[in-house]
Amino acid sequence: MTTLEIPNIGTFDIELLEEGSGAPLLYLHGYERHPGTAGFLTRLAENRRVLAPEQPGYGRSTGFENFTDVIDVALYHRELLESLGVEDVDVVGHSLGGMFAAELAAIAPQLVRRLVLVNPFGIWLDDEPTLDPFGPAAEVKAAKWHGEAPKDEPTNFVPDPDDPHAAILFSAQNLGSATKFMWPIADRGLRRRLPLIDAPTLVVHGTSDGLLPVSYADEFVRLIPNAELALIDAAGHYPMVEQEDEFVSVVSKFLDA
Amino acid sequence: MKFHWFAQQYYTKLPPDYGDVNRSSWVTAPINVADPVQVGEDYHMYLRLMQQADGLGWDSLLLNEHHQTSLAMTPSPNLIASILAATTENAAIALCGNSLALYNPPIRVAEEIAMLDCLSGGRIIAGIVFGTPMDTAFSYGVPPIELRERFHEARDLITRAWQAEEPFAFNGKYTQLRYVNTWPRPVQEDIPVWIPGSGSPETWDVVNALDYCYGYLSFSGKQSAEPIVKGFWDYTESQGGNMNPNRMAFTQVICCADTDEEAERQYSEAVKYFYRQNPTAIEFATPPGYNTPASIRSTLNRAKVMSDDERRRATRGELSFWEYDELGYIIAGTPDRVAQRVRELATDLRIGQLITCMHVGNLPEEVAAENNRLFGTEVMPQLRDLWADQEDRWTPKVSQERVAAKFGSGLPQ
Repeated sequence: MTTLEIPNIGTFDIELLEEGSGAPLLYLHGYERHPGTAGFLTRLAENRRVLAPEQPGYGRSTGFENFTDVIDVALYHRELLESLGVEDVDVVGHSLGGMFAAELAAIAPQLVRRLVLVNPFGIWLDDEPTLDPFGPAAEVKAAKWHGEAPKDEPTNFVPDPDDPHAAILFSAQNLGSATKFMWPIADRGLRRRLPLIDAPTLVVHGTSDGLLPVSYADEFVRLIPNAELALIDAAGHYPMVEQEDEFVSVVSKFLDA
Repeated sequence: MKFHWFAQQYYTKLPPDYGDVNRSSWVTAPINVADPVQVGEDYHMYLRLMQQADGLGWDSLLLNEHHQTSLAMTPSPNLIASILAATTENAAIALCGNSLALYNPPIRVAEEIAMLDCLSGGRIIAGIVFGTPMDTAFSYGVPPIELRERFHEARDLITRAWQAEEPFAFNGKYTQLRYVNTWPRPVQEDIPVWIPGSGSPETWDVVNALDYCYGYLSFSGKQSAEPIVKGFWDYTESQGGNMNPNRMAFTQVICCADTDEEAERQYSEAVKYFYRQNPTAIEFATPPGYNTPASIRSTLNRAKVMSDDERRRATRGELSFWEYDELGYIIAGTPDRVAQRVRELATDLRIGQLITCMHVGNLPEEVAAENNRLFGTEVMPQLRDLWADQEDRWTPKVSQERVAAKFGSGLPQ
């Protein structure tokens, strides 16, 4: 547990997964949960220092009540990086974490060396309304995956033998926190800030994502000044899980370029 | 005890298979089943029944707010209330309530309630509600995680606006106003406030801290409500809160007839229609963030009082008429039987404010009118004495005086 105290704002107790050494990489997880020590993170950490904080309001991480809006989240990440003594960092954000990563890159461009957005939320296309990520559970589950949903989705949840309701509460709390930024539509004005991003950007997108069609990735690429697209076939909202090899390969290649 | 006349203002002409073929009667309820001309006729029927109840001695006429549903066509209860304010004499008008977080700025609610209090000569009960998940999160798009904070900020603003003697500035997280100075102000100096809830301990804390009336408004009757209502009283006692039974409002479906057999014959179809035609999609009922972790935990820990099978059959209209009665969903039969069952309910659960649901589903108007007549003339007089010795600061003084003058207060003369 890492504690970040921002004077006159509040205290954040953060579950921080740290792996590897070398150039720093900040990984911001998606709207459902922190993936824990997932394979793709371990592989990215083979030649880098991966810092994967759990978002405030998720799992055991606190301080969510200090957020009024998404700009507060970007400024919080700025403070977190500073407290870790990290600058010139590569940032990889997935799903809702993609929205947060893009905001950080727009608001603190001096901190972000390279930016990777993986199936990011944050914009809305009137011509292509998307499935409600908080809709019927079975429908959302089917939409997230290209193939069969894995038996165990990557998670940092630790069962508590004394609490039979722990899993339900973990999920309800995580998704509840996500509603702050994604309800009723996951658009908090990022479209107006994407053009301010300086960092070279790679938008990675699983082409079978039923929550975010490929046109959303195209729009990110169009709005960010220096962005390229890497489509990953046979993958949905979690390309790093369904196509781990290809994901690690395109991301590493972009970061090492 | 006090009686509050109520009907879910259902659409009365739903297709017979509506509840079976539609995933949800909320949020995405198919509008093509509702003829606006028929909706108008339904509104007029509900108004006539409420006006009749005013003349029979009900203590209030109660209205609720729901959106995008065939179950309750009252997105603005205040519109109906304004008609009642001008066309009734005795009963209070209970708004139960306005969904505060849905109004921007929320002083709109302060203004409308004040207008209604002026129009009615001080007969308004200001119920304020979080609103169901379907209403707030889905129909009105409020992020569920923000709902409670928005509600409490609005509550603070509104209650200050009613009392303030000078214009004041309000710098909230969700509402900013430089000049708060609502015109008019309510007639009542302390307008009674009710906050109905669904069993969250956080709501109990607020209700107790402010000494408001709590309400548990469901249509599932005594058996399923008992753990929540008793939970509230146990909690209130443990906190040293006010145990006055007039701080508890409770909804009960009433089906009165001359004989028990008549009750079954007259109400059975409408009761089944009421429960069967209301499918709620699970995702609309349980959005993440709507309930706090503490509240989810207390729901999960609460003992189940009814089997899943019973609950499922109840919502599909598959219980027999007398099974609905036995489980407490309805209280049916002769006025004497109804009086005895209501007394039992109100004594057991310490209920001072009984919200009597006198019309359900597609009940014919004449049956509902007879239900009113029997309950008003033969049941209420038997029950007014219950808790009559307890102070009631949760209903308007004016309506208390007018109803007591005509129908008695329940206290010995």
